Amino acid sequence: MATGSPRAVILALAAASAIAVLSASAISDVYTEAQRPPQTFVTHTGAVITTTGEVLDPVYQISEVEFDPDEYLRNFEYGRISVDSETGQTVREYVIVAEDDLVQEIAPGVFYNVWTFNGTVPGPTIRATEGDLVRITFVNNGTKPHTMHFHGIHPAIMDGVFEPVGGGGGQFTYEFEAGPVGVHPYHCHIMPLEEHIIHGLYGVFIVDPKEGRAPADEMVMVLNGFDTDFDAENNFYAANTVPFYYQHHPIQIERDRLIRVYVVNMVEFDPINNFHLHGNLFYYYPTGTDRVASFYTDMITMSQTERGIMEFTYEHTGKFLFHAHKVEFSEKGWVGVFLVKDPGPGDGGGYNGDSSDGDAATGGSSGAAWEPAPDATGPAAAAAAYDGREAPDGA
Amino acid sequence: MTDGRRPMAHEQDRGLSGRGSGAGRFRVVASGAAPLALVVVLVLYVSGPGSTMLEVGVPLPEVTIERVDFVGSEILATVRNTGPIPVSIAVADVNDRIHPAAVEPDAYLERYETAVVRIPFDWNVAEPYTIGITTDDGTRFEREVESAAPALRPSGEMAAFFAVIGTYVGVIPVLIGLLWLPFMRRMGRQVYVFFLAVTVGLLFFLALDSVEEAVDVSQENLAGSFNGLMLLATSVVVSFLGLFYAGERLSGSRGIGGGGRVREGDGRTGSGASPRLAGPVAIALMISIGIGLHNFGEGLAIGAAVGLGSVAFSSFLIVGFAIHNVTEGVAIAAPLSRERVAVWKLAGLGVLAGAPAIFGGWVGGFAYSPIASVVFLGVGAGAIFQVMVVLVRWIGRGDSPANGSNGSGASGGGSSGLSSAPFAAGIVVGMLIMYVTSILV
Repeated sequence: MATGSPRAVILALAAASAIAVLSASAISDVYTEAQRPPQTFVTHTGAVITTTGEVLDPVYQISEVEFDPDEYLRNFEYGRISVDSETGQTVREYVIVAEDDLVQEIAPGVFYNVWTFNGTVPGPTIRATEGDLVRITFVNNGTKPHTMHFHGIHPAIMDGVFEPVGGGGGQFTYEFEAGPVGVHPYHCHIMPLEEHIIHGLYGVFIVDPKEGRAPADEMVMVLNGFDTDFDAENNFYAANTVPFYYQHHPIQIERDRLIRVYVVNMVEFDPINNFHLHGNLFYYYPTGTDRVASFYTDMITMSQTERGIMEFTYEHTGKFLFHAHKVEFSEKGWVGVFLVKDPGPGDGGGYNGDSSDGDAATGGSSGAAWEPAPDATGPAAAAAAYDGREAPDGA
Repeated sequence: MTDGRRPMAHEQDRGLSGRGSGAGRFRVVASGAAPLALVVVLVLYVSGPGSTMLEVGVPLPEVTIERVDFVGSEILATVRNTGPIPVSIAVADVNDRIHPAAVEPDAYLERYETAVVRIPFDWNVAEPYTIGITTDDGTRFEREVESAAPALRPSGEMAAFFAVIGTYVGVIPVLIGLLWLPFMRRMGRQVYVFFLAVTVGLLFFLALDSVEEAVDVSQENLAGSFNGLMLLATSVVVSFLGLFYAGERLSGSRGIGGGGRVREGDGRTGSGASPRLAGPVAIALMISIGIGLHNFGEGLAIGAAVGLGSVAFSSFLIVGFAIHNVTEGVAIAAPLSRERVAVWKLAGLGVLAGAPAIFGGWVGGFAYSPIASVVFLGVGAGAIFQVMVVLVRWIGRGDSPANGSNGSGASGGGSSGLSSAPFAAGIVVGMLIMYVTSILV
């Protein structure tokens, strides 16, 4: 008894201390690192965080992105222009290079293998006038076959479906007459099609009418999404790729100036997407093919590759949201802000909407220069056009 | 008796081998260390700097959200990198909707490093939430909380709350169970065996219960890389063997052939302290410790459940646990029913078995850790298995102060021992009692 007990006690103590160390280490290895002095942040939702750590909010991190949504927004590629001496036809030549090995920061801190036309998602906005000859030298520098498939009217061989262009430098020249007038998507059409689209092989093709459109502040918005964990559900949504970008970097526009947005829905997986504009309504031209607006609304719903042209003019200054009213999408990044400013320098209008009363008084008076060119763009005209085409009220 | 000689033989062996010369000892050390050194070389060669040998395949990141706390107007997610490569946390979301957040101390996590992601969010009590974390490669990991409840902050009030709960669930029921002692005293040999067997049944059920609980915890809250099941198995075995060895030292004092000693002691029942320590009191003490460890695990579970908001902590649940735990008092009382034991000792045994529920509640509620839970539950299960073995051997010896002569046969034999009807019936009844009362929980 005298020899046994101490050893038993030691054993018991050893066991107990082992257990204690195990559990203590399991419990306490949170909060082990040295902490920085606390800083206070206001997040994009308005919530305030005081933290000693890092902030997960794009507004504080997006100092440099490989793809610049601001630059993309108002950038149109008209190609290398020449005139065919025989036919007098305008020829627009482009070189488009496909790659599929780039890894880009498609959302702040999130890196994704993008497949690109000319290095960006979306690819360059190709713009031509109806009747122009579009000639695209397509080079596939990727590892997989790719093509360019344009929505529009063209010969079968130019459809980019049955003529896969091999990777590692394969080439194909797409040549067709631009048309019809409107806004169209282009994308790779190699199977599995969904895979090639969701990785980013798409872009916008705009065909202007020969007589042109009214002068306006024009911009392109591709509504897209990214399934970064490949579970057939998008993790991020955006207008022009980077989630929340235009919320933190509002698109600056002028009061009383006509705004024209070419909007294309390239979201996969989700059957619909939509576009809701705050503090205003817009004239909507589905596919941009008609010169008469089909709707005067603040909300349009689009399925895959549905697109159109939106035209509107703000008569109030201040910040106005635009976003998917499928709120899940907006809360995953498809949300932005128009910052409406008074036109001209030295105009003391605030950005906070305080001067809205004054604006309302003068609203429309200075808009003459920026009126949409087609005469029939009012609500009545829209309704008339609608009646004329489909006669829904005919019954 | 042959049992009693074995340890001595071992000692002699040890003595012989230990008598080697200095050179011999060096050879022993070298032969032990050489393979270890080779292992180090192997590891360095395969994974050390400059090695490209194993750059095959793509390691996938993995983070585990170990716990979610709801505090004020914030949701706190404790995140651990449980994958093979370092990760950065890029995005936090609530119910699959992205929210701005802070991550402390920083977003970059080495293997097994943890961080706390603070999401400002006006959550609603009792609503379910799914918290998601997206890493730099775009992979999203999530954890679901069935019902949001304000996180427990260590405070005097909460400590008192858990003390009260622990007392209701642990201490009082065990003490009530002990009150059956006088009843069991009046029973004959067969009934005594029956009650001991009931205890074995109760304990067996408790041990399985602990194991099941630990399996649940490891599956729900522990990342795969922690090998929850193996952690549990290791805890059970270490606890069982450790306590078994310590118990033999304590009660047998003098080797594994304790059976003979105990019987000798029984002949002089009441004549000295040592036989009692070696006998029923020691067994009751071991049962108390085992049940105490189990109740600590139970307290952890209760505290964690309240803290994690995964159950509504109803009075019904408390009643269920209380009734369930009365049986634990019976388990402690049974071996003492042939002993004279001071009341304060009895009460002490009861508190030893019941009070850990209070501490478990504190730890589980204020500093929940799934790893600690699995370890404690495993240790508890191992302790109970050990007590069961001691009890079964005790019964098998046919030991009883009243009929000491019965114990002359070899262990395991005799109609009053392991093959008897009271023994089988007791185990069945014990497990049935536990099962029925467990439905209340």
